[in-house]
Amino acid sequence: MKDLKELKKIEEFSNQCTKCGFCSFFCPVYQEEKMETSVARGKNFLVKQILAGQQEFTPEMADIIGKCLLCKRCAANCPAKTQIDRVVVGARAQMVKNQGLGFIKNFVFRKVMANRKSFGRYAKLMQKFQWMMPRTEGKIRHLPDFVKGLGKRNFPELAKTFLRDQVKPVYKPQNGEKPKMRVGFFTGCATDFVYPDFGLKFIDFLTRHGVEVVVPDTQNCCGAAIYFSGDLETGRMLADLNVKAFKDLNVDYIVTTCATCSSTLKDYQKYLPDNEEQKQRYEEFEKKIKDSMEFIIDILKIKPEDFKLKKEFEGKTVTWHDPCHLVRYQNIKDQPRAILKALKGIKYVEMPNADLCCGMGGSFSVYHYDLTKKIAGKKMDGIKATGADIVVTACPGCMINLEDNVLLNKMPQKVHHLLELVE
Amino acid sequence: MLKESLISELQKIVGKDNVLTAPEAMKAYSYDGTTSWIHEPDVVVFPTTTDEVSRIMKLANAEKVPVTPRGGGTNVSGGSVPWHGGIVMVMTRFNKIVKVDKENLTATVEPGVVLQDLTLRLMKDGLFFPPDPQSFLGATMGGIISENAGGPACVKYGVTKQYILGIEAVLPTGEVIHLGGRTLKNVVGYDLLHIFISAEGTLGVITSAELKLNPLPQARQTLCVVYDDVAVAGEGVFRVLENGVIPCKIEMVDNWVINRIEEMMPIGLPKDADACLFFEVDGIPEVVEKEAQKIAEITKKYGAKEARIAKDADDANKYWMARRAGFAAVFGKAKQVFAEDVTVPRGNIPKFVNRIKELAKKYDVEIVVLGHAGDGNLHPAALTDPANKDHYERALKAVDEIIESAVEFGGVLSGEHGIGLEKQKFMKKVTEPAVINMMKNIKALIDPNNIMNPGKIWE
Repeated sequence: MKDLKELKKIEEFSNQCTKCGFCSFFCPVYQEEKMETSVARGKNFLVKQILAGQQEFTPEMADIIGKCLLCKRCAANCPAKTQIDRVVVGARAQMVKNQGLGFIKNFVFRKVMANRKSFGRYAKLMQKFQWMMPRTEGKIRHLPDFVKGLGKRNFPELAKTFLRDQVKPVYKPQNGEKPKMRVGFFTGCATDFVYPDFGLKFIDFLTRHGVEVVVPDTQNCCGAAIYFSGDLETGRMLADLNVKAFKDLNVDYIVTTCATCSSTLKDYQKYLPDNEEQKQRYEEFEKKIKDSMEFIIDILKIKPEDFKLKKEFEGKTVTWHDPCHLVRYQNIKDQPRAILKALKGIKYVEMPNADLCCGMGGSFSVYHYDLTKKIAGKKMDGIKATGADIVVTACPGCMINLEDNVLLNKMPQKVHHLLELVE
Repeated sequence: MLKESLISELQKIVGKDNVLTAPEAMKAYSYDGTTSWIHEPDVVVFPTTTDEVSRIMKLANAEKVPVTPRGGGTNVSGGSVPWHGGIVMVMTRFNKIVKVDKENLTATVEPGVVLQDLTLRLMKDGLFFPPDPQSFLGATMGGIISENAGGPACVKYGVTKQYILGIEAVLPTGEVIHLGGRTLKNVVGYDLLHIFISAEGTLGVITSAELKLNPLPQARQTLCVVYDDVAVAGEGVFRVLENGVIPCKIEMVDNWVINRIEEMMPIGLPKDADACLFFEVDGIPEVVEKEAQKIAEITKKYGAKEARIAKDADDANKYWMARRAGFAAVFGKAKQVFAEDVTVPRGNIPKFVNRIKELAKKYDVEIVVLGHAGDGNLHPAALTDPANKDHYERALKAVDEIIESAVEFGGVLSGEHGIGLEKQKFMKKVTEPAVINMMKNIKALIDPNNIMNPGKIWE
């Protein structure tokens, strides 16, 4: 008998679908391809066929299951509340289990990303050689023409010194008083390797508000790209390392500035547990995780009108892009808007379809870059319609993709994390 | 199986990217919005022009290969399931809104346009297409016309056929024809346009349509009216109308649905109420306010326990969200649901609702009512489980009797879903043989080789 253990775990979710087809309206991939295998209903039907023994994990099947951004736009609008994200992750997990990861993913997930030190070493290596990639504008580089496979993609430059190499283990509140609370800072890969200055500024922001910050050097990659690709085993290993890294630090909260990281840490309990003990451990961990957007408003209770705009942004028009991992994975959408609307000195304009995925989808954009560009194109149309100077968001993953596509579309907008706008 | 040569001919017509043959894709085009009608095609093709459709039809007709046209596949009758295999012709990429004509209040659309996309586009010009099938997020115009779809707004605005001025269609033999036109009045010969509307894709492929539009109403108001007796709620429907208010929607939810809604998204509906009616009125702001008050008065006079007028748009939205959630709840709560589409004349709603209650008791099966009460299209749904044979058999018998009762009260077995495969056996029961024969002859005349969506409706 074929092993379908991972699929069995999600069978109840796949049975929720009533085949109404409403998902088609919300699916960014379907909206480009207009075919049934692109959309949740089709994918779910095929997964059910595997469960019923009517379908195998063929290469076509792998492609169909792979072609999902996990943006959860369909799930959020599903009348039957089908948790299609769990069906897709479950199907990917089954495929990894039955067929392995394949050479490239195996190397990247298990040899590079799964270990903090090796990930740092490889990133450093890339940093040393990135001069080979021509610089486009500011700190953006694009792939040289000889890497044709990936197309002309713009990447933000890797930082000269990573955050891990400049951060202290503990930061005391700046007013010298007893800390209001003690939080752990989960840096996340993008902040570590690409936006370290921003990470330091966030620590500065927290300590100015009376918070003690600890940054354990045993923390690892959150594991999003890894477990969403179906490698639950490595995902669990990283989850356990991260849980351990913060376990004995006696922190009230664990905060991160990356929407993907915060949602990934929170959702270990959803996608990863293999037994009850793991489930409980991850559920405990989840309770402490806060995204920076909810942390500053809901926990620190800073009033939106008390934020101060940085001088350089005065007079600008800004718009907000909802990261999938914020708006749907964590239902955080009001907090950032409240800040942007209250900030004196800028004009806030809501973009059409602000909650539309930017098209990144982690490794989706590596395998389906053409689709990523088309989906991002719709996002760009929304941005253009606002006439904004700045696109604000709160996920470095989105930032990388938005920057790429703003340049591809020769648009003038700059992309910033919301916390970059405030003092 | 199809000949290899046919596949390559199709590829020549629409390009390789617009022809699917992988087994996985065939499975993904084997179903529609129903639970159990499933049959795989041999090939899936995506035309994007009338000429391509015509060339595909000529090819299929010459080879005598069945062709089943399909849009969003949201239909709930089995109508777009390729029952005899062959070609599924998917219109989702043939989807431009060609023209919006504000002066004439018309729009020209290709068949793959999704209704919600059309609605959003028309809104920019202050217009709307009134028929509102609740599958609007996925339903395409070709399918909406072919099924003559309707929705809650039928009470005031009617159904699709009242908003189609003309179509372009490709016949099974490949000829391109134009029926109707662009004018409101048109009596040139037989009204063949209306044979194509609601033909469920058995007579040809619609490739373009001229739609009649309305200006968007300036204001809307919603009421939730509470009843102790579902039959009295049924009476409330025609009392409101006979007293001079024509709401755009009157929807009914029964006690079972109310409780599911309150479990899923509590909005303060009274859990002990036997039924609620949701009304929506639209039009000029002052009139809308007056009409809402009048509905409250009339319903209370005729036995309603309470009439709540929505405080604002958010409050109103809550009720309509709940109404939609109620529909999902029905399908989520049972292994199998027989969602009937019977429709009775409005005056007979109370009698019909009482009959449904009796049948539920008689067969000991949960039958819930949540439907478009305003037009008598009640959607009684029997909840069952095929694994429980005895229960399943009883549910089937109850459904049979529901349909017979609807016909007995002067109604029809399908108001808006169509016959497709799902309602065939009932259609044969309640339709005069001479009428079936006429349909057969019309079909034979237009589709001599019986390749156009075979196996449906009267077959």
